[in-house]
Amino acid sequence: MIKVSNLSKYFKIAKHNRGTFGAVRNLFNTEYNLVKAVDQVNFEIQAGELLGYIGPNGAGKSTTIKMLTGLLVPTSGDLLVNQLVPWKNRKRYVAEIGAVFGQRTTLWWDLPVIESLELLQHIYHVPEKRFRANFNEFREILELDAFLDTPVRSLSLGQRMRADICAALLHNPKLLFLDEPTIGLDVVAKERIRRFIRYINEERGTTVLLTTHDISDVEKLCQRVMIIDHGKLLYDGNLAALKNRFGGKRILEVDFAENYAEIPLEGAEVAERSGHKVTYHFQRGTITASALIGQLSAKYRVRDIEVRLQEIESIIRRIYEERLLE
Amino acid sequence: MQYRASFFMELLGTALITLLEYASLALIFFRFEDLKGWSLGEIAFIYGLAEISFGFMDLFFSGFDPGNFGLRVRKGEFDQLLLRPLNIPLQILGSAFVLRRLGKIVVGVFIFSFALRQTNLVWTTAKILYLPLVVLGQVCFFGGLFIIGATITFWTVESIEVVNIFTYGGNYMMSYPMHIYQNWLRRFFTYLIPVAFLNYYPALYYLDKPDPFNLPTFAPFLSPVAGVSVFLAALAFWQFGIKYYQSTGT
Repeated sequence: MIKVSNLSKYFKIAKHNRGTFGAVRNLFNTEYNLVKAVDQVNFEIQAGELLGYIGPNGAGKSTTIKMLTGLLVPTSGDLLVNQLVPWKNRKRYVAEIGAVFGQRTTLWWDLPVIESLELLQHIYHVPEKRFRANFNEFREILELDAFLDTPVRSLSLGQRMRADICAALLHNPKLLFLDEPTIGLDVVAKERIRRFIRYINEERGTTVLLTTHDISDVEKLCQRVMIIDHGKLLYDGNLAALKNRFGGKRILEVDFAENYAEIPLEGAEVAERSGHKVTYHFQRGTITASALIGQLSAKYRVRDIEVRLQEIESIIRRIYEERLLE
Repeated sequence: MQYRASFFMELLGTALITLLEYASLALIFFRFEDLKGWSLGEIAFIYGLAEISFGFMDLFFSGFDPGNFGLRVRKGEFDQLLLRPLNIPLQILGSAFVLRRLGKIVVGVFIFSFALRQTNLVWTTAKILYLPLVVLGQVCFFGGLFIIGATITFWTVESIEVVNIFTYGGNYMMSYPMHIYQNWLRRFFTYLIPVAFLNYYPALYYLDKPDPFNLPTFAPFLSPVAGVSVFLAALAFWQFGIKYYQSTGT
């Protein structure tokens, strides 16, 4: 469905002069920094996939999505989606896709949600019957009823995201792009969005490409994951395999009730210590969290304990810094 | 009509500004009585016509106003338009229908009708039929300049003042008879940027004044041609420039 080969997008960023007359000199500036936002990326996506596209800030996720949705013209490389080149056949192409950008609404700021949706019905030429069927279905699952008559500018972030997702699907797109659809949302709102994404993918067979910072989005939804950093595609494959390979490290944070001189734990190492707060690292598979907590409470007086997975940022950083995938 | 109070304030504001500008011109006139052979009424003819045209242009094209458009591009709001399966320039036209510019048009009409009372303009069928075409030419011309300015913001938002020289400067230029300007300036705004054909030459025709520069006799009828050419050139430039849209980091 999507075929990407040697796709690159470079940005020229003008160097800024500072100091006296810096602003004036900026006008005649000819010096640029070349930023390789996306650099020689290759992948293919089959119809019906639900795929996670992850990477830290500035990795190139959004730039890729913007090329896939026809917003940006690539510097070089080929891109074919539904047999179309997005930026060349823009009008025809965007009629067949849906896109949600978590950072920015695609609805009309001053219009009530329902009017925005009806406007989209006309823009995409959705027949009345199909529009009603889709709308009634989505409004139930996404619980839109409470704010249908509210102008978009007055919606909460979670409400706005639900309205945006509904809007992106009214015209039955075969392909849905979601750029950070859960950013800034609370746990309940995230869960509601995730459930809907899964529903759309399973019930309607919509192909979904999802970018996110939140590894749990990907864990709960995707089989396949692609990791990008500094514009390069680092990993493309099974998520479980990736986690076992690189994300085996777990973190145990302990807040001790007293000041102990020595605080060793068998099977874990002290990574950081400041006063009563100590961070241990341990390997999954070597020792279980419950065994460690058992040790702790037998030997020390403890105020609080927290077990965490290594975050996606640090897994990716480790992959990148140690060049584990090359 | 989402912000009613703000609408009426701005309507009043634009009307007052236009009126005050013309009033200051009129005040100077009471001292000097004419401007290189043109009476106050004759000046009012081109002044009013330029205001009406610019007002209509702004009414429809204000989505392309380089200042606002550049801001939208910088904020990445242009993404939203690209995502819709519709013609982009049409979406921008539809995105901002600025009714408050009616203030400018109303004052323009007021000044123009003042001109008609002051001058002994002899109406013929041809003159009546040609008038909408003159306005159309001017609307297309300024609309084209707005589009060119908006396109430049795909590369840079810092040089936007340069475009304002042509749009607002051109509007100002057009509000006075061409023969009061220095030769080089007049030639620049005749041959390079065809401002003179849009307002000054049609005015010579309407007011039955001789052409001091001896251009061919069809010169007054070039207004729609000049306007539409600039507009088409602007659209071509737009199609080229849109490929350089960079969106924002997120």
